[in-house]
Amino acid sequence: MMRYLFRRLSHASLLVFGVSLLAFLFTTLAPGDYFDEMRLNPQIAPEALVALRAQYQLDRPLPLRYFSWLNSVLHGQMGFSFSYNSPVAPLLLVRAKNTLLLTITATLLAWVIALPLGIWSAERLGRFPDRLISVSTAVLLVIPDLVLALGLLVLAVRTGWFPTGGMASVDFASISPVHKIRDLAFHMTLPVAALVLSALPLLVRHVRAAVAEVLHAPFLLAAEGHGIPRGTLLLRYVLPAAANPLLSLFGFSIGALLSGSLLIEVVMSWPGLGPFLLEAILARDIYIVIGGVLFSTIFLAAGNFLADILLYWIDPRIRTENASR
Amino acid sequence: MEPILKVENLVKRYTKQNLVGVPQEFLALDSVSFTVSAGATLAIVGESGSGKSTVASCIACLETPTGGNLWFEGKNLAHAAENELRNLRPQIQLIFPDPASSLNPRWTILDIVAEPLVVQGKLSRSERMTRAFSLLERVGLSAEIAERPASELSGGQRQRLAIARALTLQPKILILDEALSALDCSVQAQIATLLIELQSSLGMTFLFISHDLAMAAYLADEIAVMSRGQIVEHGPAVKILQTPASEATRQLLAAVPQLSHAPQPAAQR
Amino acid sequence: MIRRRNVRLWILILGILHGIILCAGFFAPYDPVQQDRKNPYLPPMRVHFVDTAGRLHLHPFVYVLQLRPGSFDQYMEDTTQPLPLKFFVPGDRYRPLGLFQSRFHLFGAGSDRIYLLGTDAFGRDQLSRLLFGGQASLFAGLLGAGLTLLIGWCVGAVAGYFGGWRDDALMRLAELFLALPWLYLLFAIRAFLPLTVYPLHAFFLIVAVLAGVGWARPARLVRGIVLSVRERDYVRAARGFGASNFYLLRCHILPEASSVLLTQAAILIPQFVLAEMTLSFLGLGVPEPVPSWGNLLSNLQQYSVLVSYWWMYLPALAMVPFFLGYLGLASVLQERADPYKIERRSLGSLA
Repeated sequence: MMRYLFRRLSHASLLVFGVSLLAFLFTTLAPGDYFDEMRLNPQIAPEALVALRAQYQLDRPLPLRYFSWLNSVLHGQMGFSFSYNSPVAPLLLVRAKNTLLLTITATLLAWVIALPLGIWSAERLGRFPDRLISVSTAVLLVIPDLVLALGLLVLAVRTGWFPTGGMASVDFASISPVHKIRDLAFHMTLPVAALVLSALPLLVRHVRAAVAEVLHAPFLLAAEGHGIPRGTLLLRYVLPAAANPLLSLFGFSIGALLSGSLLIEVVMSWPGLGPFLLEAILARDIYIVIGGVLFSTIFLAAGNFLADILLYWIDPRIRTENASR
Repeated sequence: MEPILKVENLVKRYTKQNLVGVPQEFLALDSVSFTVSAGATLAIVGESGSGKSTVASCIACLETPTGGNLWFEGKNLAHAAENELRNLRPQIQLIFPDPASSLNPRWTILDIVAEPLVVQGKLSRSERMTRAFSLLERVGLSAEIAERPASELSGGQRQRLAIARALTLQPKILILDEALSALDCSVQAQIATLLIELQSSLGMTFLFISHDLAMAAYLADEIAVMSRGQIVEHGPAVKILQTPASEATRQLLAAVPQLSHAPQPAAQR
Repeated sequence: MIRRRNVRLWILILGILHGIILCAGFFAPYDPVQQDRKNPYLPPMRVHFVDTAGRLHLHPFVYVLQLRPGSFDQYMEDTTQPLPLKFFVPGDRYRPLGLFQSRFHLFGAGSDRIYLLGTDAFGRDQLSRLLFGGQASLFAGLLGAGLTLLIGWCVGAVAGYFGGWRDDALMRLAELFLALPWLYLLFAIRAFLPLTVYPLHAFFLIVAVLAGVGWARPARLVRGIVLSVRERDYVRAARGFGASNFYLLRCHILPEASSVLLTQAAILIPQFVLAEMTLSFLGLGVPEPVPSWGNLLSNLQQYSVLVSYWWMYLPALAMVPFFLGYLGLASVLQERADPYKIERRSLGSLA
């Protein structure tokens, strides 16, 4: 087991390193010397520039520059932001927490809804409930998530049931902890709803496909013939067999939701990575963008690694495959 | 007379490379040697995994041997360069075991039989068509079905088509790798008759690979028995049938279904 | 047989939709960048057949909108000024397909202006902007998807056919690109390209960026197909006739991949259109004043617009028929390829 985990972990780490290399190469491809632009910025003191130059060793050849940057990243220093005039890492962390809050909630909620719906649909393949769900998912699929988010916003404006943006009410600091949580939940509802609605159709469809394939397998018919009750069948026979495609779907859904949250945060003014990165791009604040990219890769790799662990635990075929190596 | 094909100490090793760990090796051919005279039929028989298909692939230049020599008309196929091989391959043609996968199911029959000519690019379109039709006729396929896709043919018809295609470039050697094994018994007999007739009229050299000793004896003058990558017995067909020397041959003989009116071995025809 | 008819139906629907956008100059009454500063944020004019006296007119007409007295942004119909809708009227010049000049539009009202979908802050006709905006978004989506599939095809073919270090290197690269959520990758690539560019350059920039993001998945799909076809006997047989690698790829291997690619195209095109819209919405795509569906929606980021001017939301609905068309086409194509394995192919397209 350890060997499998170690292999998957090293795979994930290699991926993150590869992405960091890619991201770093992007900085060198940017037209014009970035530091020239910085020099023109009156807010940055010339001494800071000299220090930065030395830290990032801009006069050295490329591989050394990459390693010095990597070194500083591993020490928690992800670069310097010019618009905020401060190191990138603390800025990113604050925003990243908010994005994670949204993404994790949306992922959990989406799966909690999609799994039962997909299984139910697969069990009644071709009949009315299945058709109903297929049509609804098709309708949802056709509506782009941008439109969905805007629509929900309009709904909020017209009905006044939900706040139309931001993460906290004006008087957040002064209300009780219980009310704080309620306030947070209220503010989270629309963004999470938008995310879940955008991810749901694809998830439901794929769960339905994966489960339907297993439901018609001979081994399941044999188990049914043994008189095993439906619930046990589902939990201990169907889901483990369908685990492989479902878990790779899980990894994929994290990536999709991360991307989706970027857009929805901007639309709904949620103070996460979305608006932050957008600002950074418009301000040509490159290190923030790299930091954001790196963060998202790490999170996605972590999610995939989690899926790998779960797969190992659930699907016995993976275990025997590894034992024979 | 100088043999048309001379196989000398042929070795073929397959290595399976893992990213980590020891690469696994599999020795398919362990120093195989034999010769074939022009116009003759040699049958190579053995059970599954004995290496007979590997021999076929190496002689047809579809695989590169790991060691040894393959003399064909004075040239060593085992050490020839790729562009030389590309010129030599058309002269040694291979008929594959599974007629379903050896023909592209989306292509029409005419396209399939004309493909070798298209690849070689030497004849004009009308010349190609004439040749294609005459070949189809030669193997007993009617010209009416020429525009149909190959997926509509039966097993026997497909094998006839494969043979027609192989004959297009007038090869000197035809290797039949389990060419009859996927067919029904009656169809096997028909194709076997076709092959005998083709050989006598075209004077080609046949290499017949099979696990069916009876059919091998029917078609071939000489039989070589392979087991685990080596030739364990080699001699005239009659002698192998009547006085088998090795255990492998005896097992193959025992597997042959006995009928009171079994077909006569080739030498007694 | 039924399936083939279905495919043709969807292609017809999509063709009509694209045709309308292609001939935007004809269907749109006005030039999309022309401003009418006297009429900002005009609501859509309603088309009437019956006038205030109860008379039925065969010709549809609208009423000129006038400011409600006492308000500065509320309009009401001026029933004393009906404007009949004329069809096939001459109007602003435009160049359909950039080929020749024409002056005829589907409908108009002569020297008066009709705003069937209202106007924006600069008084620009939203209907015209919507139709022309579709050109930018759809074209970016089509071109981007086409480029992505081309790259994916080539990479997948090389990786699958030649194997070895080429396969390893290309597939690791693909994994790298797949390890990033697509919008982050889009952002990253966009960040390092100049911000202010000419609209035409911006357009090709977007297309290049889109292609740079999406190639990895099709590449893996094609690689899988090439790997499986490569070992088939008829390919080996063709090699036995002296066929070159190029011939094998062109005549046997890649045709197998083309049906999958068609399905991929039907799935990818709407995704790429959406990606362009996202970029333009955020201000990173097609710049003003050139319209695209994305930047038409970006006004909605202002609270006042969101609350008061509901017709600014309409471009969002414009792409729904297109997405529907592509979705229908994709599901019919998938069914045709694999009628018994429900959407297994789409799972394969994820992996």
